[in-house]
Amino acid sequence: MTAADADAALVERVKLGDVKAFEMLVVKYQRRIERLIGRMVRDVDLVPDIAQETFIRAYRAIPQFRGESAFYTWLYRIAVNTAKKSLMELKRDPLITETARASRDEEDETSRVENELSDGETPDAVLASKQIAAAVNLAIEGLSDELRQAITLREIEGLSYEEIAEMMDCPIGTVRSRIFRAREAIAQRLRPLLGTRLDERW
Amino acid sequence: MSTGSVTEALLLEQLSALADGEMDPAAVETACARWRDDGRLRASWHAYHLIGDVLRSEDLAIEPSRDMAFLAAVRDRLSREAVVLAPAAAADRAGSDGQTAGANNRVVGAARRWPWVVSSAVAAGFVAVLGTFALTRQAEPETAESRTVVSVGSPTLATPRADAGVAAVPASVPAPAPARSLALDESGVVRDPSLDAYLVAHKQFAGSTALGVPSAFLRSATVRTYGR
Repeated sequence: MTAADADAALVERVKLGDVKAFEMLVVKYQRRIERLIGRMVRDVDLVPDIAQETFIRAYRAIPQFRGESAFYTWLYRIAVNTAKKSLMELKRDPLITETARASRDEEDETSRVENELSDGETPDAVLASKQIAAAVNLAIEGLSDELRQAITLREIEGLSYEEIAEMMDCPIGTVRSRIFRAREAIAQRLRPLLGTRLDERW
Repeated sequence: MSTGSVTEALLLEQLSALADGEMDPAAVETACARWRDDGRLRASWHAYHLIGDVLRSEDLAIEPSRDMAFLAAVRDRLSREAVVLAPAAAADRAGSDGQTAGANNRVVGAARRWPWVVSSAVAAGFVAVLGTFALTRQAEPETAESRTVVSVGSPTLATPRADAGVAAVPASVPAPAPARSLALDESGVVRDPSLDAYLVAHKQFAGSTALGVPSAFLRSATVRTYGR
């Protein structure tokens, strides 16, 4: 996310014919891509279809991706172009919010727009979302200072392990372990919300 | 870590590092293979990224069932796609340093423009060939004495005027093939033997219009030649 693209290794695997590596990238970015498209397309029923089309196009084009930008930046452009093309084909008026227009880069995820209902979600889905968010926040508060600082520097500040190691004055291996333990602790809190038979469904 | 297995904990820690792009590249292949086979790893991979998304923006707290349905749909479509195989590109990237990256970018930029250039060149060439054909047909000896109907398919081409001299017509048209060596035949018309041979072999195009131009743009001109 910082100097080197965090997804470079997975992208290389995809180029070598590893479809599962691409699925891992889908799992990683599907929420952000769907939110982006949801801001551009008025018809909520179209959002999943356009998001799927985005990933399929990215998969087809990935041999040409040379890493001159971050993978997500590249994917973001494909999503915008796919959404525009779909809108033109359907002759519908695009609805682009100022927030989406202003955030055409990776900083996108830092801008908070309270538009849950505009995603066309059911009240149940909105409730589930709020529960997930609350569980994550609660779990973060319950972490030790070391774990909370490590996961915050990584996920919110976007620092590399090396940078975090410098800031926390500890070896990189310790950073890796702290971030992992923080994630597992939060995931434990989430598991009841994520479904009991999740392992098999994924 | 519900199972408490040391091996699994190690795998999950590696997966956590992979999520941050901090994994040893040599270990990524193994991690991807394990991810494919292990539902627990797949669920954890999703959970780690969901946590990151929610920490950055709460409106990304999406119900997991939606995420799963989405992945299933993409998976289904991916199964119908040809498998991506770009080992050369991967090796190229792995071996490229900062200096060659710029050159690669330029090559990619040229390659992206290439399809457009090719199609434009083919279209322009086709128009040029048909334009030349229309002009040279007027002066063929066997048709010189008869009235020849000339159809010019594109409104962008200069249409020969009925009262214009044949020799003057080529000057009113952009040179269709400047690199070709042309010769004046006995009637004073520019001829190209190789083009004549090509056109004889492609007579089915004689009455057609290039590039699917609507017939409303067809113009007919009657030309009488003065050669004989």
